[in-house]
Amino acid sequence: MCRKSLFGTILILCICLVIIGCPKKTTVKEEPSVQKEEAAKAAPKKEEAAKKEEEARKEFQTTIVGKKEPGIQGEVFESSLLKDVHFDFDKYDIRPEEGAILKENAALLKKFPNIKVQLEGHCDERGTVEYNLALGERRANKTKDYLVSLGISAARISTISYGKEKPLDPGHNEEAWAKNRRAHTIITAK
Amino acid sequence: MEKTVASRFSRIEKFFAFLFIFGFLVPPFAEARIYLDIDAPTFVQIPVVLPKWKPAEKTPSSFSEKVYQILAVDLNLSGFFRVIDADHLPSSLRGKEGIPGVSSLQEWSPAGGEILLAGEALMDPGSLNFQLKFHLFDLVEQRHVVGKQYEGPLPSLRSAVHRMADEIVLQITGEKGVHNTKIAYVAQRGAGKEICIADFDGANVKQITQNQSINLSPSWTPEGRKIAFTSYLRRNPDLYLIDEDGKNLQLFSRYPGLNASPVWSPDGKKIALMMGLEGKSDIFLLDTNGGNPTKLTKGHGNEASPTWSPDGERIAFVSDRSGSPQIYIMARDGSNVRRLTFEGSYNTNPAWSPKGDRIAFCARTEGRFQILTIGVDGSGLRRMTSSSGNNESPSWSPDGRYLAFSSSRTGASKIFIMNANGFNQRALTDSKGGESSPAWSKRFE
Repeated sequence: MCRKSLFGTILILCICLVIIGCPKKTTVKEEPSVQKEEAAKAAPKKEEAAKKEEEARKEFQTTIVGKKEPGIQGEVFESSLLKDVHFDFDKYDIRPEEGAILKENAALLKKFPNIKVQLEGHCDERGTVEYNLALGERRANKTKDYLVSLGISAARISTISYGKEKPLDPGHNEEAWAKNRRAHTIITAK
Repeated sequence: MEKTVASRFSRIEKFFAFLFIFGFLVPPFAEARIYLDIDAPTFVQIPVVLPKWKPAEKTPSSFSEKVYQILAVDLNLSGFFRVIDADHLPSSLRGKEGIPGVSSLQEWSPAGGEILLAGEALMDPGSLNFQLKFHLFDLVEQRHVVGKQYEGPLPSLRSAVHRMADEIVLQITGEKGVHNTKIAYVAQRGAGKEICIADFDGANVKQITQNQSINLSPSWTPEGRKIAFTSYLRRNPDLYLIDEDGKNLQLFSRYPGLNASPVWSPDGKKIALMMGLEGKSDIFLLDTNGGNPTKLTKGHGNEASPTWSPDGERIAFVSDRSGSPQIYIMARDGSNVRRLTFEGSYNTNPAWSPKGDRIAFCARTEGRFQILTIGVDGSGLRRMTSSSGNNESPSWSPDGRYLAFSSSRTGASKIFIMNANGFNQRALTDSKGGESSPAWSKRFE
């Protein structure tokens, strides 16, 4: 073998080693500090996030109120953060503005995956008892379908129709009726 | 020619002799005239004279008074009679008590009645058994129509008087009355609703459930001693059974979702009801043990309120498959669905008459609900109520001659009863209201 080419190869190898070695060295030298730095930045971030989550959970928990209903079994809760959706008279489709509310409810449910809910379908006082039971059943199920389409597991949602039997507002006017045509969310497991 | 006994009389005399002899052998009410055609859309009430009942020996007059009161109320409530009671008799007749002889019937002409109903009441102070005797007289034809006697222990007194009223209604209208029936209904109790029962004359009001829950749509079982109803006790509208005295509460059907508006088939083998097994309300059949759920209705509508035809072959129900709630009829296997109502945008609560030919329902007109009836073939739509407030939830008497329904014409909702032609609408009880969803029992014999 020619001395010159051997020397050249060794030189190239050395250069390669330096090239390969240096960055490594540099990386090795820099990594711990960057990682530490990043870690140092990340740690409070993680802690902060965890804290925020904990705070949010606590805040959510503070909004959860036990609901007592004599004559209806089961320990259940309500939260003002889970909002009612409303329906047009004799209708059960989800209006676009109600869809926005359900998106918020869904976001909350995603945030706290341990929560299980029951959707109550309600009607206003007009119309007859049994047909309103059917309408309430549909309202509860449509609302469930919507939440499931937003990614909430169906296993977390049960439904119940109360027909016109449990109005929110006992009034006999349009305002009361509009309030009563609703799907209401209660918490069955927190 | 030998002269026989018979040949001594002329032919005409023989003819009348024949009539005279055989006339007596035929019981008087075998050719009883029907005094009142209650199937006619309108009818005039028969004036019935009702003098005071006579107390038998050793019987306190308060007892015969009580019998008289129950009977007078029954006759008034039946809607078939204009009762001329003792207080409204001419003074010459006011003091008369007890059962007259046929020969003195003409004395009663000033009373202005077509029928005279007289009676005697006996109560043995020792055994506390009673004996009631009534006699019915036709004042127009001046003859005795029928007489009957009823006996029993004191606790069964009301029932005996009701049976007597049933018999009187049979004699005059050709069909037995429904005075020995009860009506179950829902009554508001605070935030909840409980099942109650009252007699046809509004007596013996009893609260059957005591669970403070929401209890809905009572329905009698075919044997007539139990009531099915829906309750939210377990945080689901489940179906329960309870004895009519409030005992033996039994969870019957608890499929997730609705188990509501139950009705037994006439042969007692199946229950039709609303169930939400598939995410919406459909009409299902269940076996009498609560098993074997079979979906009858198809399509995307909301289905409600089943009611059986009296022959058990068809079911009428509510569906909004056309866009608004209307009454439909289908065969008991869910086939041959036919729409029945086409007028108005909200027709619900169908109830199939035990006579088989008409269906009662409630219809929203001018913003309020009224009771209507329609022929099963879709013809002959008739309006039964036109009051203020809402009139809903019709339920037929077992003979198909009365309808119970809820009405808010006086403010709070109360159970009302009327004759099937819409006449004689009156409240069942004197409660303050909060009553709904009546269900009429069979006759308690």
